[in-house]
Amino acid sequence: MNRFARQTILPGFGKEGQEKLASARILVVGAGGLGCPVLLHLAAAGIGTIGIADGDSINESNLNRQTLFGQQHIGMPKAETAAAILKEKYPDITFRVFPEFLNPQNALEVIGDYDLVLDGSDNFGTRYLVNDACVLLEKPLVMGAIYQYEGQVMVFNFGKDPVNYRDLYPDHPQGQQVPNCSETGVLGVLPGIIGTLQATEAIKVLTGIGKVLAGKMLFYNMKDAAFYEIAVQHNPLSRKKIPVSIEAFRSKNYDINCGTPEEISWEKAMDWTRNMDSSLLVDIREPQEEPLIEKEGIIKIPMGNLREDPERLSHYENVLLFCRSGQRSGILATELKQRFPEKKIFSVKGGILHPSSPLNSTENETKT
Amino acid sequence: MEYQHKRGTPKSRIRNKMETLKVKAFGMVAEKLPEQEFAFPPQTDTAAFLANLYLEYPELKDIKFSLAVDRKLVNEKTALQGGEEIALLPPFSGG
Repeated sequence: MNRFARQTILPGFGKEGQEKLASARILVVGAGGLGCPVLLHLAAAGIGTIGIADGDSINESNLNRQTLFGQQHIGMPKAETAAAILKEKYPDITFRVFPEFLNPQNALEVIGDYDLVLDGSDNFGTRYLVNDACVLLEKPLVMGAIYQYEGQVMVFNFGKDPVNYRDLYPDHPQGQQVPNCSETGVLGVLPGIIGTLQATEAIKVLTGIGKVLAGKMLFYNMKDAAFYEIAVQHNPLSRKKIPVSIEAFRSKNYDINCGTPEEISWEKAMDWTRNMDSSLLVDIREPQEEPLIEKEGIIKIPMGNLREDPERLSHYENVLLFCRSGQRSGILATELKQRFPEKKIFSVKGGILHPSSPLNSTENETKT
Repeated sequence: MEYQHKRGTPKSRIRNKMETLKVKAFGMVAEKLPEQEFAFPPQTDTAAFLANLYLEYPELKDIKFSLAVDRKLVNEKTALQGGEEIALLPPFSGG
């Protein structure tokens, strides 16, 4: 009995359905709360080639919902780790790891290689970026998103008269309209449901079974155990907001994460730390994250601890935060700025991975 | 008749000009409102509905959301006859 016998005997699916999955190439953007169930189910279903794009590392507070990962993976990069775990389970699947965040320069190239994209990212910048790229490249996009106890699922660029995210929301939210960039609470089971719905729609798109959720948006509220479906119509604004060409796409600014944090270069950050007593340079990574940095003037306070007890910063005028890539420190800098509007709070640009970082030499050696 | 009223498609539903609107709020929008689901006085169109909704709940102005009337997304000013279900649908960003 082969691994897929129970699905190939399904009426309407059969060997043909399985062959379609085996020859499919899918890209999962974000290996987080949504990405984990998406990956688990699509790998188990027998997709032939799976790309995973995520520039983040696993931290302890991810574990309630990011079900691929366990305690032993804290501090490890998400995309590589997810691929390694799944490769061990299913050695015949081809995994491609893209251990970076998508941006206007790399998105078209990365997405261009795949038949279908699943978006499980956690910010509007990436959602609009992936949407526009998929419209330009005419790739089906299965988007999932969550907010506290609720979730959304949509299938774009598929079927007759396809719609996209900008038909629903032509412009990205700005400033105050951005629902808390900081992480909000979430019960792990919710992205489990939404991600599993995404995986389901992906299988339907790829194999042609059933009626795909195209041209619709499905809401789910876990507290009420209620689904709500709406039909999406074309919005004349949508076309105007999508870049018309590859060049226009590459020069568009999708940096809308949560109000932009103030960034500082490593050079300046080190200089301030050395010469100003009122400046504090903080390593906000999880304690297990490599490379371990023991350097005079750098203090370690993991992101979660700083969120719980921001008063630890009250004696400093300038707070300089850094992490692996500058992503988490950017988010935290924006949050802390709201708490301490009078202070200068910076995210060190590019984090440890930045070429001019004085801390990245060990990282490079272990990576290559 | 009662069954028809609850389950009928919008076309088969007999509308009464005085019938109130049923508003359903999602996500962040629901947080700014006293109830997730509530009745609202009938309005001539979606623009009037929004204007009056903002008057009553000014906090909603800070949030981005789309409108669906009887489970269909509306992008432009749409006439209302009364009795419609209007959903306030914000985008979610979490993953």
